[in-house]
Amino acid sequence: MNVDVNAIFQIAGIGIIIAMIHTVLKQMGKEDMAHWVTLIGFIVVLFMVIRMLDELLKEIKTIFLFQ
Amino acid sequence: MLKLMGAALVLFAGAMAGFYQSWRLASRPRQIRGLIHALQVLETEIVYALTPLPEALRKLGRKTAAPVSGLFGQIGDRLEQEQGITLQEVWEFTALDYWKQTAMKETEREIVRQLGRTLGISDREDQVKHLHLAIRELQREEMTAIDEQKRYEKMWKSLGILAGVLIVIMMY
Repeated sequence: MNVDVNAIFQIAGIGIIIAMIHTVLKQMGKEDMAHWVTLIGFIVVLFMVIRMLDELLKEIKTIFLFQ
Repeated sequence: MLKLMGAALVLFAGAMAGFYQSWRLASRPRQIRGLIHALQVLETEIVYALTPLPEALRKLGRKTAAPVSGLFGQIGDRLEQEQGITLQEVWEFTALDYWKQTAMKETEREIVRQLGRTLGISDREDQVKHLHLAIRELQREEMTAIDEQKRYEKMWKSLGILAGVLIVIMMY
């Protein structure tokens, strides 16, 4: 349970920092770069979530299918 | 404990990278101004003092401020040391070699190289014309450099710190 909470905080931190980078780049007139940064941050977070979902599904499999 | 120290180091490195970029942006207009000043000194050396070019360049190296002085000093020294080599060759070679040590960009280097091709092969009036042309182009570059500095200096500082924080959070 403890690890799970840490991961949530990590994802929240990444979100905050990416949002700050986005605003800084946008203010300086580099909007295309800002969008790229946001997209890359989103993909990184997506991979983290996919890994955790994978663990969850494996756990469910072992519980219900007795393998 | 080790993890915290590593995080602090990554953060420090990110912040320093950002500060270094903004320092380069800030010192570019200053160095261009130094270059303009040096070319004006060179003009007076050519027109009024009638100094031979190697000696004038070495004098320039002593008179001007840090990054620009090395360029002219090196060109003057090489002209003295190596016999049978033209100013154009030395100028071209040294400009290419030395430019990495300054915060200036390719456009300024092109201007200086173009000037080097015309220096010392014609009469005074023609050289002064080329010097004035180079000074005018450098002044225009200085304006754009100041503009860029105003726009991107703060961005690089905050971007460096934010990138450091981002890496720390992702690896923690």
